[in-house]
Amino acid sequence: MNMRLDHACVIRDHWSLSATGTFDKGVHLVSGVTGSGKSTLALMMAGLFPLSEGSIVKGELSTCMLSLQFPELQVTGRTLEEECASWGAPAEKILGATGLTGRRNTSPLSLSRGELKRLHLACVLSRDYDLLLLDEPFSSLDCEEKSKTCTTIEQKPGITVIFTHEQEILPRVFRIWEIAEGRLTDCGRLPDAYERWHHVPPAVKRLTALGSPPGNISIRDIREAACRIQG
Amino acid sequence: MQDPRIRIAAAAILSVSAFISLHGAVLAFLWWLVFTPGVHLATKIRLVVPLLLVTAFFSLVLEIFSGNGLSYFIRMTVIILIGMWLYGEQKPGEFLTTSVWLLGDRAGFDLGLVAEMGMQSLSCIRADVGRIRVAAKIKGLRWGVHSLIPGSVILVHGALARAEDSAELLAIRGYRSGGTLCPEFQKGPRDPAAGFFAVCVAFLALVPVSEFFILYR
Repeated sequence: MNMRLDHACVIRDHWSLSATGTFDKGVHLVSGVTGSGKSTLALMMAGLFPLSEGSIVKGELSTCMLSLQFPELQVTGRTLEEECASWGAPAEKILGATGLTGRRNTSPLSLSRGELKRLHLACVLSRDYDLLLLDEPFSSLDCEEKSKTCTTIEQKPGITVIFTHEQEILPRVFRIWEIAEGRLTDCGRLPDAYERWHHVPPAVKRLTALGSPPGNISIRDIREAACRIQG
Repeated sequence: MQDPRIRIAAAAILSVSAFISLHGAVLAFLWWLVFTPGVHLATKIRLVVPLLLVTAFFSLVLEIFSGNGLSYFIRMTVIILIGMWLYGEQKPGEFLTTSVWLLGDRAGFDLGLVAEMGMQSLSCIRADVGRIRVAAKIKGLRWGVHSLIPGSVILVHGALARAEDSAELLAIRGYRSGGTLCPEFQKGPRDPAAGFFAVCVAFLALVPVSEFFILYR
């Protein structure tokens, strides 16, 4: 099970994005500044953005799901119940887990951005996919929800790719990728990736400078590395 | 055509000419062929086809009940083509500059601002439709007639939310009424000729052609 990008390229006016690399099973983090092309890459990998050049080969991937950055753009149901059903998710369970019990007939568009993002992620993460693409999954969430989402993401069995500029609460990841100057770069596996990764989270950077680099970028790993210094 | 003043005036004159008489519509269509990108522009704006289909439907109804459907269809088709050309050529800010040039810093500014916001809203709705279609594809839902109501609800909700944001932004910036703007316009070499012939079309549209031929005989 993998996804291979072979000089997959999108050219648009004066902007272009080129991506080469293989995404294997596990959690991948794609970082980059705002406007670098993270969302475009997510759409390319989902097959929703036509390539100008190159190819994307899906190896033994039968199911794919993309979660867009703005949850309201993926709403298709008139009520919360209909919205859950449109994702193929059990409404009762999802509404209970997101604290929306008793609001099954409410319009999804009347929820706050945070509530809608919670509902959206609960629906997306309720099923397992061979390829799960999450575009900015932590935006509009509080720390507690971010941590919960990280735990769920870590348990996903297929290839999970997170496109984010989040710098604090992140899940334990298998590989780091970075988009800069219109090109996707494979920074490799952690902790070696820290040397090549330009968007290393500040806490990780500080701990590395102090001679105690965390084994991974999750809060647990960062705490553990911090404790090593104190101990 | 680069000068928005001539473009908007020509579109208004030609639309009226096309509406009031059949030969006015034919002349306006000839003007559209000569002074606009024509068919190339019509193929770029996908809304042309559904609008023509709706017009064709109502023309058919009119033809059955009053017998004037073909004339109505020709006249409305020309108006739609001129409208599409005006929409396709319009650049952000042109309504505002034209309106201020015509009506001044107060009423002109307000009117232009409303027109600009309307155009921006149309552009956002078009982008939203694309995103909703992507969402339906991601979820494995079929996009069709049954998607119209939920799709429309999302579009209206989005438009209202954006309108609220714009209103708040204007209020925060202290907008009450009117504003200062120095209108500047680009001019194309064919603009005066296009404007002149648009006026000619309007003049000829007002001439009762049948009576002219009777007098000639």
